[in-house]
Amino acid sequence: MTKTRPPRRWRLAGTCALVGGLAAIGYLTFGGYNVAATDQHTAPIYALLDFASRRSIALRSSRVSVPAIAPEVANGRGLQLFREHCVQCHGAPGVAPASFALGLTPAPANLAATARRRKPAEVFWTMKYGLKMTAMPAWEFRLNDADIWAVTAFVGELALLSPEQYAKLVRATAPLKSSARLSAEAPTLAPDLDRARVAIQQYSCGTCHRIDGIVGAQDAVGPSLNGIGSRSYFAGALPNNRDNMIRWLTSPTTLRPHTAMPDLSVSERDARDIAAFLEQLR
Amino acid sequence: MPRVSVMAMLTLLAACQPTSAVEEQRIAEGRRLIMATGCGACHVIPGIPGAVGKVGPALDGLRDRVYLAGRVPNVPDNLAAWIQDPRAFVPNTIMPPSPLSRTEAQAVTAFLWQK
Repeated sequence: MTKTRPPRRWRLAGTCALVGGLAAIGYLTFGGYNVAATDQHTAPIYALLDFASRRSIALRSSRVSVPAIAPEVANGRGLQLFREHCVQCHGAPGVAPASFALGLTPAPANLAATARRRKPAEVFWTMKYGLKMTAMPAWEFRLNDADIWAVTAFVGELALLSPEQYAKLVRATAPLKSSARLSAEAPTLAPDLDRARVAIQQYSCGTCHRIDGIVGAQDAVGPSLNGIGSRSYFAGALPNNRDNMIRWLTSPTTLRPHTAMPDLSVSERDARDIAAFLEQLR
Repeated sequence: MPRVSVMAMLTLLAACQPTSAVEEQRIAEGRRLIMATGCGACHVIPGIPGAVGKVGPALDGLRDRVYLAGRVPNVPDNLAAWIQDPRAFVPNTIMPPSPLSRTEAQAVTAFLWQK
């Protein structure tokens, strides 16, 4: 019985796809793609990435409802938080970003320009959830929604402030006290495993520990957390129960002063969620 | 498919590194000592039958670990010294000291440090 072959153009297309695929793999494997921050994207690639980013934010922020924020809040708490957390990368009218932010690719946007181009919901969304593959962190786990809205409202004001007016506002506003710099959400009743996954990524646990289900968690600075749910002890001498794990997560150096695991200002709520997640890694 | 076997070959070639006969012997001695000392009662250790303990952390991939006990830099000398007397590094660790000599502890280190 003779086998029927696919039509000629399909075979040609298939061969082209295979050769194309091999060429792409070869290009990447032999380091052809330059990841240096000093090497610019080509204009078409940049346009593509920018387009994808804008469309993604537009879709997801369309569900956000924008509250009214009083000017005193925008120029009070909003400005304080802006100076504490944003100006180092984004600068301000007449104020340069810090030196570490000047080498970033993509560069942090000038927020006065952003305020003119983007809707408040989009600014809020970007602040709360961050941007992949950029240096823009997510603030969801470190600032509550009210504070993120205060900063969003202040960013809206930025478009209307001259450098002189900004400097005047700064002089009139006290800097944040250390206790007021971060604002966790209140604890809820039951631990949330989905939220725990995001919390684990937001506290960078994966930079030191291998954890199943967390992409990119591959370095072994500390022990792997796989199977920690069935361990009898952890951190050398602590009986493995939820209370101890929550105490450890909120302040490792209190329990073990010389540990390489740093204090990350993990909130009570986040520690509870993460502890519940770790318990089910058996 | 051609793509898969080329990548598999490249990966295998990269992983192949011959171990000397002396090293092989130390690793074998390390395996024997681990079984004799009963480390597996507290630790999961790949390649050791019955080493399924969940008291301490698993010892797979120990070569890549940056710190031992959360604070001791993981170099072979430190690992051997830790195995002999953990409480010299961390006074309240629940890991007990072992009856191994320095050379024996080094053999155990060689086993645990395998790729």
